[in-house]
Amino acid sequence: MAAAANFPLLIILILFLSSFMMPVLKRVKAVKWLSLSSILLCVVLSVLTLAYVQQNGAFLYKVGHFEAPWGNELKIGYLEAIMSIMFTSIAALITWASFFSADYEIKEKNIMLYYTLCGMLLASLLGILYSNDIFNCFVFIELSSIAACGIVVVKDKKENIKAGVKYLILSSLGSGLVLMGIAFLYSITGNLNIGFIHQELVKVKDLYHNTLIISLGLFTVGLGVKSAMFPVHIWLPDAHTYAPSSSSALLSSLVLKAYILLYIKIIYRVFGIEIVKTLPILEIVLVMGAVGMIFGSILALLQKDLKRMIAYSSVAQIGYIFFGIGLGNILGLMAAIFHIISHALTKSALFLIAGNIIERIHSKEISRLKGIGIEMPITLGVFVVCALSMVGIPLFAGFNSKWNFALAIIDSNRILFIAVLVASSLLNALYYLPIIINAYFGEENTKDRVYMSKEKSLGALLPILILAFAIIYLGISSNGIIDLIAKSVSNL
Amino acid sequence: MERLITNYYETASIILFGIGFMTLLIHNNLIKKIIGMNIMDTSIFLFFIAKGYISAKEAPIIRAPYMGVEGYINPVPTALMLTGIVVAVSVTAFALALTIKIYEKYGTIELNEILEKGGD
Amino acid sequence: MNTLILFPVLFPITAAVAFNLITFKTRASRNIVTASVIIVNFLLVLLAFRFAAIPELQLVKTNSILDIYFKVDKLGILFSLLVSLLWICTAFYSFEYMKHEGREKSFFTFFTATLGVTLGIAFAGNLFTMYLFYEFLTLVTFPLVIHSGSEEAMQVGRKYLKYSFFGAALVLAGIALLYMSGSNFSFTGYGVINTVDVKSRGLLIFTYCLFFVGFGVKAAVVPLHAWLPSAMVAPTPVSSLLHAVAVVKVGIFALTRVTYYIFGAQVIKTIDSIYFVGPLVVFTILLGSILAYHQDNLKKRLAYSTISQLGYIILGLILLNRDSLTGALMHLVNHAVIKITLFFCVGAVMYMTGKKTIQEIKGIGKEMPITMGCFSIAAISLIGIPPTNGFVSKWYLALGGLHENRAIFVIILLTSALLTAAYLIPIIITAFFPGEDYRPSVSRRDPPANMLVPIVILTAVVVLLGLFPNLVLNFIKVIAVEVI
Repeated sequence: MAAAANFPLLIILILFLSSFMMPVLKRVKAVKWLSLSSILLCVVLSVLTLAYVQQNGAFLYKVGHFEAPWGNELKIGYLEAIMSIMFTSIAALITWASFFSADYEIKEKNIMLYYTLCGMLLASLLGILYSNDIFNCFVFIELSSIAACGIVVVKDKKENIKAGVKYLILSSLGSGLVLMGIAFLYSITGNLNIGFIHQELVKVKDLYHNTLIISLGLFTVGLGVKSAMFPVHIWLPDAHTYAPSSSSALLSSLVLKAYILLYIKIIYRVFGIEIVKTLPILEIVLVMGAVGMIFGSILALLQKDLKRMIAYSSVAQIGYIFFGIGLGNILGLMAAIFHIISHALTKSALFLIAGNIIERIHSKEISRLKGIGIEMPITLGVFVVCALSMVGIPLFAGFNSKWNFALAIIDSNRILFIAVLVASSLLNALYYLPIIINAYFGEENTKDRVYMSKEKSLGALLPILILAFAIIYLGISSNGIIDLIAKSVSNL
Repeated sequence: MERLITNYYETASIILFGIGFMTLLIHNNLIKKIIGMNIMDTSIFLFFIAKGYISAKEAPIIRAPYMGVEGYINPVPTALMLTGIVVAVSVTAFALALTIKIYEKYGTIELNEILEKGGD
Repeated sequence: MNTLILFPVLFPITAAVAFNLITFKTRASRNIVTASVIIVNFLLVLLAFRFAAIPELQLVKTNSILDIYFKVDKLGILFSLLVSLLWICTAFYSFEYMKHEGREKSFFTFFTATLGVTLGIAFAGNLFTMYLFYEFLTLVTFPLVIHSGSEEAMQVGRKYLKYSFFGAALVLAGIALLYMSGSNFSFTGYGVINTVDVKSRGLLIFTYCLFFVGFGVKAAVVPLHAWLPSAMVAPTPVSSLLHAVAVVKVGIFALTRVTYYIFGAQVIKTIDSIYFVGPLVVFTILLGSILAYHQDNLKKRLAYSTISQLGYIILGLILLNRDSLTGALMHLVNHAVIKITLFFCVGAVMYMTGKKTIQEIKGIGKEMPITMGCFSIAAISLIGIPPTNGFVSKWYLALGGLHENRAIFVIILLTSALLTAAYLIPIIITAFFPGEDYRPSVSRRDPPANMLVPIVILTAVVVLLGLFPNLVLNFIKVIAVEVI
């Protein structure tokens, strides 16, 4: 099992190598299977990594032959191990789903590029996740923004290019801010390795109070832009709406999450929560999160386009996660991490469903989705599971998230924020349930609809069925995962 | 004021950063936006390299008389910025490529006009 | 044999799923199957009482909150018996009634599922399990409410969902607040919260109010009552069930659980919550009656009447003494029986003649003497005139009010009884004494036996419970002793 320590690096390498091989291959089918098999291999390696971490505890992995401050390091703890399983397995499901939808949404000549970009994207996200070197993280961030932008514009329609440009500009703005934040940290600590920066910061924190505020502020805004924190989310709706559905699923469930995980790393490992608590940043994050929870939902309520609605719902859910981080206590962080997982499952399923629906109905309008519960019963059945999870009905993953948030709020003695939580989950109900109602009920809606007439094949439905199963599993027995999260939080 | 002058590298880079940031935000022309992005990145490179530079010391290339650890500047930021430049160049290239695409599809590179034309 | 408890909950739900999959050849065969499912379920309930050695069952416990736990106690027995019996009556009634509403498949699917979920609430052994089924109840009753599928029904459905989810969200917030005090939340006789200190007092009041308003949504406490009258667009058997047992009574039942089995009467008394929730209840009683008086549509009139009567029950709950609790639980049972009878009668009139408002039903008493006779008996009972069961429960409620030296509540009860008379008596008068210009119509046309028999049986129960209240009363008194 000692070899398992090499797996994280191996995962990144496998993904990069396989994705760079794809343009060389001649046949689209070969590309598809190479992509899926490499990601599946990474799932296996991630699981083994988690097993290794459970046996030996968190470990630092030296890349190359140089010792820490000079050489690069990966740090793999529980958090990284869990998240890499989540990232790879969701990516595998989305890739599987894209086999059936890519031909419809992407031009034939671009399909190979699409899978190349997906592989690069996943590799760079995992790079952000594993890396213990903050500059390395920056490089991976840039790489991931190019790849993420790539999977938006791969559809090569007018709107896609527009959304892609918007995304690229704001995203490079964000990376610029992050790099500036790194520059400030480097100027006061002289280190880029996260562990060493923290050691130095503890020594000099009183000298450079303002520098710390500026630096953390830059990280907050920079990563906030990239992960669509509320007032700087403006790129997200366009990008998610116009991108191919499998790309939207990747963007919403994984890309945003990687930046948030980096933010968590910066708060808890680079700065350390004690230092962060002396700065006023967390309060702002808390408020922004809360505002996002409400306004994201309200904006979602106003949308007429299915994918745009789901995109705004993402803004609200990202609000939850930042809210949890902003609470600044262990329970809040745990709730945020749990929500990262449950939201990733739900949102990827929702976007894939939206893709299926749009493919069959040929319309994105919510008002056109009447009676599809009869025509696509399985797809809509999974939609119901996701919607109930979003609303927070017990026995679905979303309930556990909400419950954990509620506990965290009470633990931090800010009981009034429970009102925000309640209001937000009600708003979720307001925009998800009407879709279900119109899909299944109502005389006019269900007239002349033929049962199962527009359903996709079972193979195409497999990913969303697995996701639905995972949502219910997380809803019923969240204990194991919560324990793991508790462990990962305690040795961040 | 005096502190600003003594740390003139930092002052300059922050001013450049501001210029780049605003250019990126307020201009409608995509090319100008990309230029702004580059100014912003360059300012950060300047900042970083200034951090590594120690006046009156040599570049860390060891020639005949070895001057000891104290004799050279810090090479790490310079090395990092090489990476940074590569990254910035690739993003710029990508952005320019997209701009060409935009011009093909919309016939303009003014962002406000593009947004007006909307997604029909 | 603890798993026996699970059967009455799961059997109807499984049956409902099966109904959805099977296509019955004839209406009669479906009716027979549905009826037997519901009757068998009643037997299962009895079986569970008889043979479950230790009447509790830990089904799933994955962590401290996700803990599905069933326990059968006396309150649960009372409620589940009430539910199962009324469900049988309603089933037979709807076999006939639903013929003209159509889409019977969907109706009987959700009708049966709702039975299971309601029994789940009755048998829930802790707060979380109850909350779980409470949410499910909203989801399974929703298709019943929008049964007709018309635009109006859809709108009402959305309103119903909004109100219900709002209530459930408050309840969840309440559970979270309670959870931080760290005790376990299985329902226990005198409550699980034992100590109230100055620090926790404010929080407890806040939490209790959250629960009160949260469950109050289903129990139609003013100002959260608006969904109930609107929900009258549903077919009559649905309205009668919603009103009599399934939804509003679940709200009351849940409120009883929280008040007496979680907080405990002593704690509620110490935190003086009556000053916070009392005014709401008084409003509910009076406003319900007054609004009922202004309705022309018979079903709406009964709906507002329900709001007011539910106010009585809640009043009994929050007065916190044995007499008032006895009265409240008694009224829970009585009102269920009375209201379901009234709805059945009104439904029968609608079914046979299509008449919906008071003006239309002039002289209907001559055409449908048995139906309207039963209606009159039930109405008299609701007003609280002996020897009907309404009198018994109101008597105990009044006693409870006097017991607390709060004569004001007794006055409110009396005023409201007068108002009840004011909105029910005119119906009877119009029905039986149509006045001069009335031309006697065709013939007697009481509804078919399927509808008439449940009505008559229920009316008989109304009278029986009035004459021999001790059957139920003694049982309820035991419950009251166990919790106060």
